[in-house]
Amino acid sequence: MAIDMSEIGEAPPVDRVDIWNREDMEPRIREILDRTVRDRVKGPYAAKTDMEVVAMLERYFARTEGLESIRISGVSRMAGGASKEQFAFTLQHEGDPAGERLVLRMDPLEAISQTCRGREAQVHIAFADILPVAPVRSIDADGEILGQPAIILGFVNGVTEPSEGKGHGVSGIGTRYDDWAAKLAPQFVDTLAQVHRFDWRSADLSYFAAPEAGTRQAPIWQVNWWSQVWWDGVVQPVAMVTYAERWLRENAPVCDAPVMCHSDLRLGNFMFEEPSGKFTAVLDWELAHIGDFHEDIAWAIQRLFGTWTDDGTFLVCGLIARDEFLSAYEVASGNQIDPVKLHYYEVLNAYKCAVIDLGQAMRAATESNNHQDIILTWLGSAGAVFLEQLVMLIRKA
Amino acid sequence: MLPSIDLRIANIVKALEQVVLPALTARERLAKDQVNLCIGHLQMIAQQWRWAAAFEAGSFHAMIALAEEMQPSVDASYAEELGQAIATAKAVEGHDLAAVEHAIVALGGLIDRIILGEDGQVALAPAIWEAVLSYGEKQSLRERTWFAATGLDPDRKELPSIAEVMAG
Repeated sequence: MAIDMSEIGEAPPVDRVDIWNREDMEPRIREILDRTVRDRVKGPYAAKTDMEVVAMLERYFARTEGLESIRISGVSRMAGGASKEQFAFTLQHEGDPAGERLVLRMDPLEAISQTCRGREAQVHIAFADILPVAPVRSIDADGEILGQPAIILGFVNGVTEPSEGKGHGVSGIGTRYDDWAAKLAPQFVDTLAQVHRFDWRSADLSYFAAPEAGTRQAPIWQVNWWSQVWWDGVVQPVAMVTYAERWLRENAPVCDAPVMCHSDLRLGNFMFEEPSGKFTAVLDWELAHIGDFHEDIAWAIQRLFGTWTDDGTFLVCGLIARDEFLSAYEVASGNQIDPVKLHYYEVLNAYKCAVIDLGQAMRAATESNNHQDIILTWLGSAGAVFLEQLVMLIRKA
Repeated sequence: MLPSIDLRIANIVKALEQVVLPALTARERLAKDQVNLCIGHLQMIAQQWRWAAAFEAGSFHAMIALAEEMQPSVDASYAEELGQAIATAKAVEGHDLAAVEHAIVALGGLIDRIILGEDGQVALAPAIWEAVLSYGEKQSLRERTWFAATGLDPDRKELPSIAEVMAG
């Protein structure tokens, strides 16, 4: 059938979102990205010593809470931390000689992802009565007192991978849950559903902004965020990353009803207790934003975050077969997954990962601005995995 | 060359594994993590160093081939600049690693501009879309192979060896 080109020319626009307006993004994200570029020249950055952490915390609690006879003890660097410097410590003072166990989660000068501790604190507080999350003890969103942005959380017991497990890897990648999966998978699915059902309109989320429902603003905000990270930090041009950016702009779908997205809910980002398997904390909310629920689903089903059973079945986040996961999520959340939108967000997430690995991680390591530059170059080596994913997914679209 | 690069890398790995790591207490978590990553990087470098200049030159030639494939289909406003950039790139000596890296940035920057089309104002011909995808497919396979030793690639078992990729 012949196409009447005049009809195409007169077709109304999908919405009034300008898919190439790079300025259209959450204001706080813009601030964080601008701050990253501004502070980049202040490096190099060195890992904090225990003594430095003690001094910083003593000053901080004296100034923010007026505590007296402060004693910081039991400082212990926590595992992982490809992004933030994390220390467990005990705070004692005149009013609390027994002390409390806390966690300092602090930005290095530049990390694999540049995010806002204020947003992280707000989302922890918002979900305090809904999901297991670490309680917020204090927040220095812009590092005005500590010298670098930080959040101080209550210490939560638990493990991110089975103590006797077989598979371990950087940032949780490759973790095998084996028999634990039966206990963990339902909680994982329920967590995603709870996050997406959350009534963000009635919460104090002043660091956040919401994209307009019924428009393409939700995906375009994400493309603008991550393309800005790429262009601000690019070390070497990668045609496939640029190509994906254009594809993502020109194929952005409408988001009917924006929801709270965790944006990094995967293996390694939840803690559980042994032997019950009960979740004790949902971790790493730093990328949380209001957007399309398909983004979280597409994130969880990425091949990099999955494992395979001995008979070759792919397990989402090492927990549950893909089709079973999608069905269970629909039941738990009441959301219906649109396969076309899911596919778009698979491309978007592969793009984000490529930008993180080949862009931000390489820039931070090149400037020597992280406490673990060597982890950044290790993870950056996985960048081509996402380039291959981009080719495959865009061809399939 | 005595001692050889391979021997020196092996010596460093042995020292880290057998002396440095055991000397660290369980409390020195960051140090242990970083030593293990040092060992991983060194073992990977041992597989790669012989091929490094040739690998980067291969990436550069693939980029020049992409530019040439794009050339007949680019918008007229880019044609002359792209032609000049290809000629400049071809004049670069392949064995000079620093020169190749510099040239990749220069030619790659122009390719990026063409793909973005002044932020969507210039249409991209279907032949260019396909050329970039095809280039992306080949290049990602080369790079995944190059870094397969990290163990991060879920499909690493299906990858060829570095020697096979370099044999072309």
